[in-house]
Amino acid sequence: MPSSSPAMKKRSNAKRAVSLYIHIPFCESKCPYCSFYSTAMAPGKVENFLGALEAEIDLLKAAHKVLPDVRTTYIGGGTPTVLGPSHWVRLIDILEKGFRFLPGNEVSVEANPGSISRELISLWKEWRVTRVSVGVQSLRDEDLFLLGRPHDAGRSAEAMKIVTEAGFSLSADLLFGLPGQDIRGWHESLKGVIGAGADHVSVYQLALDPGTPWGDRPPAGLAEGYPLYRWAQYYLEKKGYRQYEIASFAKAGKWCRHNVVYWLGGDFLGLGPSAWSCNGFERSRNVIDLDEYCSITGRGELPVCFSEILEGDVLVSERAILALRTRWGIRSRKFSALFGAGSLDTIMQRLEEIPSHLLKRSRGGVYLSREGMRVGNSIWQMLLP
Amino acid sequence: MSVPMERIRNFCIIAHVDHGKSTLADRLLEATTTVSARDMREQILDTLDLERERGITIKLVPVQMKYRGIDGLDYVLNLIDTPGHVDFTYEVSRSLAACEGALLIVDAAQGVEAQTVANAYLAVDHGLEIIPVINKIDLPSAQPEQAAREIEEVVGLDCSDVLLASAKEGKGIKEILEAVIKKVPPPSGERDMPLQALIFDSIYNNYRGVICYIRVTNGTVRTGDMITFMATRRSFQVEEIGVFCPDMRPVDELGPGEVGYLIGNIKTVEEARVGDTVTSSRNPAIAPLPGYRKVKPVVFCGFYPIERDEYPQLRDALEKLQMNDSAIFFEPETSTALGFGFRCGFLGLLHMEIARERLNREFGVDLVATAPNVVYHFRDMSGSLIEAHRPSDFPEASMIEEVLEPFIKITGFVPSEYVGKVMQLCQDRRGVFVGMDYITPQRARIVYELPLAEFIIDFHDRLKSVTRGFASIDYEHAGFRPSNLVKVDILIGGEPVDAFCFVCHVDRAFNRGQEAVRKLKEIIPRQLFEVSLQAAIGKRVIVRQNVKPLRKDVLAKCYGGDITRKRKLLEKQKEGKKRMKQIGRISLPQEAFLAFLKSGDEEEE
Repeated sequence: MPSSSPAMKKRSNAKRAVSLYIHIPFCESKCPYCSFYSTAMAPGKVENFLGALEAEIDLLKAAHKVLPDVRTTYIGGGTPTVLGPSHWVRLIDILEKGFRFLPGNEVSVEANPGSISRELISLWKEWRVTRVSVGVQSLRDEDLFLLGRPHDAGRSAEAMKIVTEAGFSLSADLLFGLPGQDIRGWHESLKGVIGAGADHVSVYQLALDPGTPWGDRPPAGLAEGYPLYRWAQYYLEKKGYRQYEIASFAKAGKWCRHNVVYWLGGDFLGLGPSAWSCNGFERSRNVIDLDEYCSITGRGELPVCFSEILEGDVLVSERAILALRTRWGIRSRKFSALFGAGSLDTIMQRLEEIPSHLLKRSRGGVYLSREGMRVGNSIWQMLLP
Repeated sequence: MSVPMERIRNFCIIAHVDHGKSTLADRLLEATTTVSARDMREQILDTLDLERERGITIKLVPVQMKYRGIDGLDYVLNLIDTPGHVDFTYEVSRSLAACEGALLIVDAAQGVEAQTVANAYLAVDHGLEIIPVINKIDLPSAQPEQAAREIEEVVGLDCSDVLLASAKEGKGIKEILEAVIKKVPPPSGERDMPLQALIFDSIYNNYRGVICYIRVTNGTVRTGDMITFMATRRSFQVEEIGVFCPDMRPVDELGPGEVGYLIGNIKTVEEARVGDTVTSSRNPAIAPLPGYRKVKPVVFCGFYPIERDEYPQLRDALEKLQMNDSAIFFEPETSTALGFGFRCGFLGLLHMEIARERLNREFGVDLVATAPNVVYHFRDMSGSLIEAHRPSDFPEASMIEEVLEPFIKITGFVPSEYVGKVMQLCQDRRGVFVGMDYITPQRARIVYELPLAEFIIDFHDRLKSVTRGFASIDYEHAGFRPSNLVKVDILIGGEPVDAFCFVCHVDRAFNRGQEAVRKLKEIIPRQLFEVSLQAAIGKRVIVRQNVKPLRKDVLAKCYGGDITRKRKLLEKQKEGKKRMKQIGRISLPQEAFLAFLKSGDEEEE
């Protein structure tokens, strides 16, 4: 039966486009604070991984008949730059064979300053990579040593230079709340990445996740994050970077569209071990271990180990929380169209409990103020059912 | 064995804490072979574990001893022990009323202490024959002559033939028993008169119901008799009467001068009140024995279960405790901060602590107690007198014409080098100097009158610390007096928190308000916004402090994969918050309330 609704028409006529994430599960060395899955390189392992990745795509194709088009791509990990040029050629080949990339596709690649190379840069250039996200973490050697990073500050500066010279949009990741870190040292790193031409900066507070060496035995002298974060908000905005998400600052038009998909409830497809996918209201995760990932795909099965259906109050509060991470916040009309006016009311009522200076209200919706972003974690709790 | 009334002696032991009362009682039981060596254990007459543990005696079993004197005659000696603490003054007076004589025990090394004097005077008031005994003469630091001089000078008793003893080593025990026979007069009373028996104590037993400890003055009581309690006007049939040896031993009859127990299907101690007179229902006495009054609690506090769903257990426990101890008062109370609980009244601070500990120990109830307060009387504009048991009962200041608070007269025995400090302490506590004299050049007796409210906060501990424990103190109630008292509210984020408000003298309001706010500041978890903490009298804010907003736990990154994990984490944190109590916009964990109330306790200890 034909539908008169334009939205329905759009949905039925066009395939839904997705954001694609590829998890490269290798690292040169394991950082003591990192909770992402990665394993050490060993002969044959990368080939096995690439084979399994290809198999996963084939299995998905078989299951869904046709794969959605890709509107943003993100190659992360792990450390994508530990793969050599030949492996990258193979990876690109697999992806190109598997998917149709829409025009204007944003392609981001994560790079470690220690392993980025001019060969990779030119390969990426050729493959229409648009953004390179460099894991700078800090531009102070004492911080990098403490963090167990396989590079020094000079190497980071060099890495950023070759990225910008090649004409990529440069994003720099920085960590704050490090042991012994003060505003002066933090400022040095912020200033350094701005000077290196980054048009996107992500600032992450050092998290002590359980299961990581530092999560189990935290280092002494961790700096309080709040003043450092507040400084980043102040300084980056002064330098022309707009905060568009709790941890993300970008110059005009340079925000990462891929990441925004996560926060605004778009579909994404994650490939590789431990990668997450979200298709409408179902979220799933691949097996975490590389060997398992290879053997399951080798048996001709999809390597999914967890999935959940998102519905009801859980879905509503989760969407509200994610939306409030961004500068766009909760858009009333869109929110009530998706979840109903009652759900919007519920969320708005919970927000009443929050001191008014942490929120900004506009005709179209509600979003967090700068102060609100600083205490986001506590606000999320109040939004849960 | 029954003996004629002339050979009955009813006596008690009065002593300061630690001067060896329980040990002496043990020795007397051994010397009279009331308890065989095999059954003997320390402090045998202390009934509660708590008593044995703390070394204090709250209630002691009366015991009948048989003794053959050096005159070759058999005597019945009834030892009726008394609680040694001022909280139980009324109970002490009833025990004394059951006796004709008292042993006054004084520690040979420490001399006369405040309680010795208070209880000795009480015994004199009741017309008891007092036999001074200087105990612990075995101690290297013993100064029996000095102690004897103090007894003569301070208590005013003749010590020319004072008895010297060491209960620990069993010295002087025989002499004490002989002195009891010679000096304590036998009871007097008429067998043929209508029954009059004094209830000097009553306890609750799970199997037998209430057991009344009685002393027969006139007439006789037998199993099967119908009896009436003259104050409560309740009647019962006697199921069993008997004596303590020290175990309960049924007898056929109790006659004039005799001491024993009575059981009669009595459900609660409230029905068999201490001080009441037992008489015969068929042939009642014309009047009850003198001295009965209903005890009224003077110290109040809120008891709340730590686990909120344990409210019914707390209620049951309090009910059972009250069956045992009719002096405990309780009524349901609701606190916005602590939930459902009870406002409880006690005879004093020790009484309160004992109740709290028994609730915990015997009934397994974990509870938190709000800061104790005294009972207040206030006169409103209409002139009527109202009684308040809790700070929140205080009406608005403008409604109050006059506030009255209970005063006490304290008597302290203080080594001379600490006199200045003790006087300072009393002054600080709004004390009014009454008098001072030197018992010996080294020791002074200081008398002050001060508000009971100041005494119950932490007076004992302050006294202990300024005198290094070398002072002893006793008090008696001195009536209600007008006082400039105010209710201080503690507000969090502009909302008053009932569990924290208190009443104090207007001059102390600022300091105590400041103290409360400081304590709160330490324990309330940081919030998302600045929180004001205030102490206020009515609408007037006297102390204000702000708690800076939360700064830690800033943020965490969150991309596709983190979402589920993050949500689980948040849900877990939220679960922890469910135990929180909302005060306006502020959520406080139950623990914060407990910490606030407990930190007060620590200062008291």
